[in-house]
Amino acid sequence: MSDYVVSVVSNMGMIAFIALSAYILLVIGEISFGQQAYFGIGAYISGVLTAMWGWPLWLAMVLGCAVAGSAALIIGSLTLRLSGIYFAIATLSFAEMIRLGLLSVHVQVEIDGELVGPEGAEGFGDIRWIFENDVTPFEFMTVIYVLLVGVLTILFWVERSRLGTVIRMVGSDPLLAQAQGIDVVFYRLLATVFAGIIAGLGGSLYAHFATYIEPNVFNVMLGVHSLAYGLIGGLGTAVGPLIGVGLDIGFLEGVRVFQGYRMIAFGGLVAVLLIFMPRGILDEERVHRIKRWLERS
Amino acid sequence: MLKLENLSKHFGGVRAVDDLSIEVNRGEVFGLIGPNGSGKSTIVNLICGVYTPTAGSIRLLGNEISGLTPNRRLVAGVARTFQNIRLFDDMPVWKNLWVAQNSTEDANKHNLLRRWFGGAGSDRDEIDALLEFSGLGGRGGELAGSLAFGEQRRLELARAVAAKPQLLLLDEPAAGMNFDEIKDLAKRIKGLREQDMSIILVEHIMELVMGVTDRIAVLNFGGKIAEGTPDEIQKSSVVQEAYLGKPQDVA
Repeated sequence: MSDYVVSVVSNMGMIAFIALSAYILLVIGEISFGQQAYFGIGAYISGVLTAMWGWPLWLAMVLGCAVAGSAALIIGSLTLRLSGIYFAIATLSFAEMIRLGLLSVHVQVEIDGELVGPEGAEGFGDIRWIFENDVTPFEFMTVIYVLLVGVLTILFWVERSRLGTVIRMVGSDPLLAQAQGIDVVFYRLLATVFAGIIAGLGGSLYAHFATYIEPNVFNVMLGVHSLAYGLIGGLGTAVGPLIGVGLDIGFLEGVRVFQGYRMIAFGGLVAVLLIFMPRGILDEERVHRIKRWLERS
Repeated sequence: MLKLENLSKHFGGVRAVDDLSIEVNRGEVFGLIGPNGSGKSTIVNLICGVYTPTAGSIRLLGNEISGLTPNRRLVAGVARTFQNIRLFDDMPVWKNLWVAQNSTEDANKHNLLRRWFGGAGSDRDEIDALLEFSGLGGRGGELAGSLAFGEQRRLELARAVAAKPQLLLLDEPAAGMNFDEIKDLAKRIKGLREQDMSIILVEHIMELVMGVTDRIAVLNFGGKIAEGTPDEIQKSSVVQEAYLGKPQDVA
């Protein structure tokens, strides 16, 4: 595989995490414009831990996910009573607060005669874990996909379980779900925290793949894209957001013919799909029909 | 069984329910009637927890339930149907029944992992029996949203029954039904009473109310203006006034 292909495929894998994160929020019936914040938190926390404190990558990633999950728990509890447009605005505001907060973080230490650490808008470079440990881009890509398959396995497993059904019910009609004995508040929080952890995982991979991050990478456009992936691919199954990622990054960005026109094509695609397939290509009804068809044959 | 004492719900200056006291006995079908805006639906929403009362108490089997969230009230034994059909449209019919069937048991299970991942946990025979009861036998795999109107109404009732409630609240269950469907519904309601379920029936269609209820309370402006057996209510001059207005001296 050429370097270019490896980098495009790795990008798809990492963005898939935040797309899945936004998808989980869509499944519980909320539009979040703030998942990029958890992606950013995962990236910064794990980056600081490996580059400044010399932690092993896996431990730094675990902590990155934990902090992202805790942030999701806090923001989730604060925005619980909101829904629809109010929830969307609140998540966007919190995400921007975190991004602007990162812009004013200046914590650097000297390592081997060089200053390492987040330096506000200048960004945070020299996250060199993969060079120090002789990990090739191809190997790192493999790590990304192993983790992605792991997350997908969990999502599919949940989807088939009673937990998955209950969460879908909370998303499709919270009032009705509550009348059926479901503790809506609890399941919404649970899904929110899980979504935060997944975004944090993607972010901590991203920091080590890119080796350089800056707060503006985690701006609202990242959140908007991750939402759009689920809406394009479909909300009926976790495969949906992956289709969205594949179409956007793999096809529009990866294939050089579209260079420069990517956003035009992408925006058009989103608009057309929202009109003709409001819940995406693989929406609940199609997934149900495919499942029944598979059961019969 | 169910005891509402001095129950009030005010929305700003509007007294939707005002100082109302009602008692429903075990195995009784209790009718709630009254002109539009008299507070019937508000009472249903108060009993099942969508609204919290401004004042007064709601006791079920002697326990105060007015502080419980709606999901806890289902566990306590209150199930309802909705005035407008409300189903999980993009889920199969059987899952709509399954959720209500399991929630009482689930709420008391503390091992979350076993509850979430420990298999369907459903009593398939019971679901089949409920489908049979609602005339939907063999159609459990279809999406609830693809059922016809009458079938969806029957599924709503079956779902409320699936929770095995002590008290069943039927909020205008006959709305939009034709004559045959209403007769059919009356039969089901009588069948449920025989299972010792207490039922509160909110309805505008008097043939149904008069035919199946044991006692009726008539509401107007959030208060109770009459209570009695269907016969007594039909003869009551207060009730006739509330519905038709005061007789005028035409001479």
